[in-house]
Amino acid sequence: MRSRLSILAAAAGVVMAAAIPVLAHHAFGGEFDPNKPVLLKGTVTKVEWVNPHAWIHLEVAKPDGTKEEWMVEGGTPNTLLRRGITKESLKIGTALVVDGYQARDHSQLRANGRNVTFPDGRKLFLGSSGTGAPTDGADPTEGRGRGRGGQK
Amino acid sequence: MTRTMIARVVRVLAALGAAAVVVSLTATETIPRMPDGHPDLQGTYDLATLTPLERAAGSSLVLTDEQAAKLERQAAQQVATGDAPLKADRSAPPLGGDGSIGAAGNVGGYNRFWLDPGSHYTMLDGQRRASILIDPPDGRVPQVTPDARQRNTRAVRATSDQQIRENDPGLEPEGSYDDPERRPLGERCLLGFASTSGPPVLPNYFYNNLHQIVQTRDSVMILTEMVHDARVIRMNAQHLPKTIRRWLGDSIGRWDGDTLVVDTMNFTDKTRFRGSTENLHVVERFSRVDARTVRYQFTVEDPATWTRSWTGEYAWPATKDLIYEYACHEANYALEDILRGARLKEKETKR
Repeated sequence: MRSRLSILAAAAGVVMAAAIPVLAHHAFGGEFDPNKPVLLKGTVTKVEWVNPHAWIHLEVAKPDGTKEEWMVEGGTPNTLLRRGITKESLKIGTALVVDGYQARDHSQLRANGRNVTFPDGRKLFLGSSGTGAPTDGADPTEGRGRGRGGQK
Repeated sequence: MTRTMIARVVRVLAALGAAAVVVSLTATETIPRMPDGHPDLQGTYDLATLTPLERAAGSSLVLTDEQAAKLERQAAQQVATGDAPLKADRSAPPLGGDGSIGAAGNVGGYNRFWLDPGSHYTMLDGQRRASILIDPPDGRVPQVTPDARQRNTRAVRATSDQQIRENDPGLEPEGSYDDPERRPLGERCLLGFASTSGPPVLPNYFYNNLHQIVQTRDSVMILTEMVHDARVIRMNAQHLPKTIRRWLGDSIGRWDGDTLVVDTMNFTDKTRFRGSTENLHVVERFSRVDARTVRYQFTVEDPATWTRSWTGEYAWPATKDLIYEYACHEANYALEDILRGARLKEKETKR
């Protein structure tokens, strides 16, 4: 997690050096409420594989047994497509755990996918079981994905 | 001069001539060329790199092999750490924000598996480079003029409410959320952030760094995956009238030997590369290093923004990866959420 943030921070640092705060590429801070942390445990009902951000829909059971549908914001799908991962890789019904912050407008059941994992804590698209991802990094002898090897 | 000496001189000259032919053949063979004889720059390139635009003050432009290897190992380790599993029974993140800064704005961004940053430092002339910037020689963007500083501060209308900024560090200054037109061009799906499409074309250090060059005699097109921008460079043409302004500027090209030189001006007043004005002038130079690599060099100048012009360069390595359509804005809930959040905050403040 720390590394993810440091990557974002480093990249943001490059952007912020422009001395124009509005150049930040996407206002996560404007979109999500730091005072509404959420932990969502649910199952995938729909995947919107779109830019600039993919959205994963989750059916989440509330303590009283009723269910509500949450939407979780992710990154760009193009990066994953290049590794052979498509929206079909995340099957409907897959159980996920998401920690993040809810949208500032609380009438929206939307949150950022600060961390999206399977119930056992493995990150999405990195462990193979449940995702059906053709290249998942679980096998160290396997290439990173289509066309990646030796291309740098 | 004796006959023997003349014969010797002729033999030496012939040998030199043959050597020159061999050299020129080798040079011709190592880079692909178009039917018109100009270098063929076509291909798909992955611009992702660890080399930042600027480097630390006082440090060298060139990294030693050991330095580069160490930094690349650290970057790989960060990736591995970011990919590592979390506790199965974790709880929600901290109330009041997780303290992350920059683009992640105190609420965190998203998992590393979405990202595809570079894993190596850019290499030119057999050197691993510590910065893209090569001039000024200190590898730092020149000082911003006082006028530019004032102009850019005005543009975001800094909030006077210090309390709001302290309580909510992820929030941009008041006024930044007033309407969609005030949002960054990347958020609005108009241009990729961090000058991804350029000019000058820069790596964005996050993802989607693929660019494709398509070349004909009369025009050269650079397709940028993010945000689906196609810049058409008109060869041997004159610039459009100043009244015609473009997001990516007006680019005209010419061949200087084996180098494609592209001159761009007529930007819109909203493009604002690192706070520049619409009078930004960019000169790019594309040349073939070998069959798989293009050397990309750029010089930017805008006297109303920087005290002097500045120049950078880095390698564009070819990739077999595919460019995908970015198709930005379809179901862009994010921009809607950002503006909704701001309207709600306004209502709360009025109460």
